[in-house]
Amino acid sequence: MKETVKDYIEAVLSPRIQADGGWVEFVSLEGENLTLLFRGECSKCLILDRCVSWIAQKIREDLGRDVRITAVRKKPFFWDRA
Amino acid sequence: MAHVKVVRRSMRPEEWTDLRFGWLRRGIVEEKEEITELTILDARQISENEYEYLDGGERPLKNGDLYFTPDGTAFIKGHAVIPPAFKGRDVYFFLKTAAEMIVKINGKFVGGIDPNRDRVLLNPYIDRDELFIEIEAYNRSKPDDERNDAVIGKRGCRQIFEGAYLCTIRENVQSLIYDYTLLMDVAHSEYFHEDYRKFLFSELSRGLDKIDFDTWEGVDEAAAYIQKHIFENTDFKGSGDVALVGHSHLDIAYYWRRIHAVQKNARTVLIQLRLMDKYPEFRYTHTQAYTYETLETYYPELFAELKEKVASGQFEPVGAMYIEPDCNVPAAESLIRQFLYGQHYFREKFGQTVDNAWLPDVFGNSWIMPQIMKKSKVDYFVSNKMSTWNDTNRFPHNNFIWKGIDGSRVYACVPPTHFITWNMPSQIQENWEAYQDKETGGQTLSMYGYGDGGSGVTEEMLEMARRFDKLSVMPKTEMTGGADFLHKNLKDNKKLTVWDGELYLEMHRGTFTTKANLKKMNRLLEFKLREAEMLCAFAAWRGADYPADELRACWKKLLLNQFHDILPGSHIHPVYEDAMADYMEIGRRLDAILAKYAADTWFNSLPFERDMLTFIPDENGPVVREGVKGFWARPHLPGLTAGGAEPLAGGDNWLSISPLLHEGDLLIVTPLYRLCLHKDGSISGWWEKDGSRQWVRDDHRLNKLHLWADNPGMYDAWDILPNYKDVEIDLPIKEKTRLTYQDGVSAEFTVDFATEKSTWRMIVRLFRDSREIEVEHIADWQEKHRLMKVNFGPNILTRELICDTSAGFVKRPLTKNTTWEQARFEVCHHKWFDLSETGAGVAVINSGKYGVGIEDGEVSLSLLRSTIRPDITSDMGRHHIKYLIVPHGGDAVQAGINRLAFAYNVPLAKAAPALPEAWRKALCESGLWLQSVKVSEDGKYLVLRMSEQDGRRALVRFPQGVYAMNMLEDADGEPFDAKYVSPFEIVTVGIPLL
Repeated sequence: MKETVKDYIEAVLSPRIQADGGWVEFVSLEGENLTLLFRGECSKCLILDRCVSWIAQKIREDLGRDVRITAVRKKPFFWDRA
Repeated sequence: MAHVKVVRRSMRPEEWTDLRFGWLRRGIVEEKEEITELTILDARQISENEYEYLDGGERPLKNGDLYFTPDGTAFIKGHAVIPPAFKGRDVYFFLKTAAEMIVKINGKFVGGIDPNRDRVLLNPYIDRDELFIEIEAYNRSKPDDERNDAVIGKRGCRQIFEGAYLCTIRENVQSLIYDYTLLMDVAHSEYFHEDYRKFLFSELSRGLDKIDFDTWEGVDEAAAYIQKHIFENTDFKGSGDVALVGHSHLDIAYYWRRIHAVQKNARTVLIQLRLMDKYPEFRYTHTQAYTYETLETYYPELFAELKEKVASGQFEPVGAMYIEPDCNVPAAESLIRQFLYGQHYFREKFGQTVDNAWLPDVFGNSWIMPQIMKKSKVDYFVSNKMSTWNDTNRFPHNNFIWKGIDGSRVYACVPPTHFITWNMPSQIQENWEAYQDKETGGQTLSMYGYGDGGSGVTEEMLEMARRFDKLSVMPKTEMTGGADFLHKNLKDNKKLTVWDGELYLEMHRGTFTTKANLKKMNRLLEFKLREAEMLCAFAAWRGADYPADELRACWKKLLLNQFHDILPGSHIHPVYEDAMADYMEIGRRLDAILAKYAADTWFNSLPFERDMLTFIPDENGPVVREGVKGFWARPHLPGLTAGGAEPLAGGDNWLSISPLLHEGDLLIVTPLYRLCLHKDGSISGWWEKDGSRQWVRDDHRLNKLHLWADNPGMYDAWDILPNYKDVEIDLPIKEKTRLTYQDGVSAEFTVDFATEKSTWRMIVRLFRDSREIEVEHIADWQEKHRLMKVNFGPNILTRELICDTSAGFVKRPLTKNTTWEQARFEVCHHKWFDLSETGAGVAVINSGKYGVGIEDGEVSLSLLRSTIRPDITSDMGRHHIKYLIVPHGGDAVQAGINRLAFAYNVPLAKAAPALPEAWRKALCESGLWLQSVKVSEDGKYLVLRMSEQDGRRALVRFPQGVYAMNMLEDADGEPFDAKYVSPFEIVTVGIPLL
């Protein structure tokens, strides 16, 4: 089951996010706690929470699982001025 | 003594004016009615205007809903009736969005909506009150223009629908906003005199005092006030003469795939067409025949309208080329085809031969361009980046003459400012102030229009233009077309200065190297296309059918991927996947063509004898090179003939190896030389057997790998900065140099490196009967922000680096005396570079590398980068890289380096074409490179294109009369049978086909 979520993200959702200049990577799935790493344009997206909700919705619709997503942003050094 | 800095916290008068100016926008919409009958269908584009529709089907769309998904296209439909109260007035469709929308109402294209515009006028395009709305909406998380602050905060894959409306507007408020937009821009700009700005702020405030921001009374009084007190005031004078040309830069692929550019282009064109309806003075320039092709295919109705506007002169095709290619990496024949297919398209569809190359965004321009342009009936060249992006030196001209490598001259314009502006007075004034040819160049060129992802000119930009003449401080401006600007100011202008050299961009030096696989495939396919076309043309000469459409389709696909954000590597990951898929497809299609001409013999398509070491693929061969089994041969095949290729006869005991004092170093002796091979694969000593020569400079190496920290910042994929040399990364040897293969012909020494993430194998290949050393690298590359280079420090006293351009060579200074020399620390070359002193030199011939570093006493070949923006995975994976190190007597020309380099890049083909012996001899004896053999686009001629590569004069004698042709294949004059050829000249001739 764990592989399914990972595969789904890599095969279905990731290419779509990539086509928007973004990047999502599966990190872990512990129970229903899904951790995703967001890079590229996603790392500085001001409305990433909407996309995260959409990912959760897609997983619910296509895999029948309710997951709680923790989104981790990884900004490249040249955008990381915090 | 205590010091207290006075900080003003109360509102300044200027802020009060700014604030009220913002309020004005609230008054634009007078009445509006929400459209509530709306549905949406989510889709994802899978090909050019082909979609997969997502689950859920059509659903209602309501104000406040989230809409769009990543990589999403949405099809929105609606139904509305124009309210009776709107009768007799201008009615607009109004929708605020960060997405990009093409709007059709009652089946007609009424306009485009995107982050830069939120309404379209309906009246001219509808004939009834009931409206059926169809919207093709494409959403990008990165909007097409990041310079527009208003849209940055809205970007993202998921948008909130803010409703769609029918509305009427207060024309007087809108007009006053345009007045204030113009004047506030001047008031805030340091490009204008402070006294005038102070005056403006004061008068603008008085104008706003007249308005009631609740009832919108007083707007006309405010307009009258600023007319009288500002526009009619001529106490302040400006100067300058600026030509304004509407344009929208459209990256065919970048942060989007090329399949998405079809819609971006259509929306952009639609918006410009609608502006032309309203503003008859508006003229717009649009590049790239490919974008016209896609419009014609997928939006024929819009294309028909575009044709009308081209005929009327409002819509102007510029650029002459098929796309806006990178102008560093593509070879000469590719650039010629860009013009050939571009110009033929413009001729066929619009009856026009475009006389300018319009390349605002390309990353520097090869010195071979002027000749190619001139012979493609292009007299004018426009490119912006050198003026606005150079990081070290200010390019000294804007309007000038560019002299090419062969002496050809074209008129050139490097506009002083960016190719994306929004036609504000400050931008125009900035352009004029930056313009360096005020005394000689006539007007300066200012392009206006949003771009990168299209979008183009807005109503506001045109309203600004209508007001410029009213403002005494503005430079004189003229709304004009691209060609008209060039003709008026550059044509026959005797005062123009000449720039004789390449147009090197002092930025984006990483694009010679980023995404190595694209460069390698492009090189491979350029030569494979040459071969396929040649075989087909030779057969056609004897009466066979010529697969013109198939060859053209292959060429066009290759040309498309030479776009300046594809081949250079500056794009998101899916663009790379698309390009590689295209390359594979081209390869398959060419293989199918070549299969028709397959024979048991090997065909030497070089116009000279192939006597150099040649790798012959053979599944029973003893050698593995780039993963392919085969053997080494010296085929001794005369030029343009076919024959056998036998394995080289070997010799016994030709190699002796002894360990040296330094741990791991090997002293290798061959029949020709002694070599000291370091444990890391670098060469620290290389002596001729007779002791006459040491090829390695003291304290230097040849073939020394260096791994550098490569942190260029924001323009990660684009730039290599001098800071790469600040930090060298340890490259641990996993297994030191050792002999891994030997037979009677060649021997291979292998060294393995491993970092924490990557493995790197280097094979140094020696030959019994040749001084050439081939180096092959096999990398599993998983680095981030690393640059792998291989350095060469030959024992040659020279201050010049000679670099192949694909159509002649350029000599570049190795010295760093001036800032111009210092800035050129990384340059583009093609198949080879050479360092020579009188009597001898060392060349390095590659098979798909372009970046060369000029370092202190050494030259480096850039092998691989590992950037993360825009593509996190850039260059990750397996790579095969190979090059040949060639020590030689004489200089590069005397040593025949060009011929060696062609032979190294052009494999033998299994074919046996027959061409008349007299022609074969003539072509081979010319001493010219046979660059292309094809059937002309009109099918009437066999076209031969030959290029002089060595910088000397030549005489070609043809066995029969041929016609001179330009690169567009227009035959000219009477037939002739001999031609004198100048250094670096590219000659095209046509032989009539019976």
